[in-house]
Amino acid sequence: MSTTRHLINRRRRLATAQAPRTTAPPRHAGPPDGPARTTGTDRAEDTSTTKTTSTTKRTGTKKRTGTPKTTDTTNTTGTEDRTGPTSTGATSPPRTRPRRGLPAALGVLTVLLGGFAAWATGEAAALRDTPSARNAALTDMARTSEVKGQVTKAVNELFSYDYAAAAPADRAVRTHLTGKAVEQHRTMLAPVRSRAAQQKLVLTTTVTHSGVELIDGDRARVLVYADQSNTRTAAKKAETTYGAAMFAVEAVRKDGAWRIAVIDTLGAGS
Amino acid sequence: MARTTRGNPLLTAAAALALLAAGGAGWGGWSWYAAAHDESAAYATARDEVLAAGEQAVQNMNTLDHRDLRRGLDTWRSSATGELLAQLDDGRPQFERQIRQARTVTSAKVLSGAVTELDTRAGRASVMVALRITVTPPEGRPAAKESRMLGELTRTPGGWKLSALGQAPVGDTAAAAD
Repeated sequence: MSTTRHLINRRRRLATAQAPRTTAPPRHAGPPDGPARTTGTDRAEDTSTTKTTSTTKRTGTKKRTGTPKTTDTTNTTGTEDRTGPTSTGATSPPRTRPRRGLPAALGVLTVLLGGFAAWATGEAAALRDTPSARNAALTDMARTSEVKGQVTKAVNELFSYDYAAAAPADRAVRTHLTGKAVEQHRTMLAPVRSRAAQQKLVLTTTVTHSGVELIDGDRARVLVYADQSNTRTAAKKAETTYGAAMFAVEAVRKDGAWRIAVIDTLGAGS
Repeated sequence: MARTTRGNPLLTAAAALALLAAGGAGWGGWSWYAAAHDESAAYATARDEVLAAGEQAVQNMNTLDHRDLRRGLDTWRSSATGELLAQLDDGRPQFERQIRQARTVTSAKVLSGAVTELDTRAGRASVMVALRITVTPPEGRPAAKESRMLGELTRTPGGWKLSALGQAPVGDTAAAAD
């Protein structure tokens, strides 16, 4: 029993050891036992006997050095596991090298790709972050006409004053102005307000041209040309004087509406 | 082979990182390309070019020194094209005579400017330039006045040049509104 088991074990072992080898090296050893090549199963059995001498000489000798049969089988499978990769020595060194080489190559690739990603993203951000690209004047038509329209309306209302009806002017101040512009507007209109009742003044301002210089998010700057007519109705014959104005306003967007925050008279009262 | 990839966490991690980096590189590259070929960015660049050219040209056209008429008027010519250039050439002899008699030195400073229209395909644009013009007569103090200029620009091989220039009319709309 023990001998047959040993034999079966050896056959099994050899068959598994043979399996990968049958493709390449055994062919040279194959032809001598030509008749065995008829069928695959036959061959596995047949070669097992013949191959013990040729291919597994090492294991064979190890076995014969006299170890108990039970341990022998485990031992040989153990050695065979170890010998397996080494015996196919021709292919094993390229296989162990990629194991260390491939991760290294991938690491280099990661660094290169990552570097490019960072550089390209930075480059893209730099292109998008130029003052020119940030300025949405004209490039964003909807925004531009919104700013233009609201600033025009605000200027028309803010710089028009009827002595008989001051309410709209006060309402304009509340809705169109913010920050520093509130005080600026008050000083600018003070002479008009003080004389209004006495002279029965009607001041009308009409924006004739406006150009958006800058839109940066919720900030904008608009250049305004306006015509002003000043009518004194107190005199028997109404007197009207015309004036031209040019100035720039800085507007900020609050709650969906553009409000004038700064009135820039361009260094002159004009 | 399956054994090596399955059994090697280092390789798996390296492959995953490389894949992630490849994704990042792809996205970054695309984003860069998109930013470089952004139509609105190109339009913004054109707008700024037009404004710079317009402001410079308007300033040139309002600068003249009677002592160096030739150079001054040549600068005018180089800032103009089309109809405006034709007008300049037509009126040049008479204008030279006037300036020689008046002996004035005129200088201009751009206070603010804006592009109001820009058609990059047709190569036409409109600008507003707020200007302070200082005229110094041979005797007496220099006089400064603000000027509301409206200009039209046309794209030429030599850059954007003024094809029309004038002051914003006063009183028209106010009169009409009355």
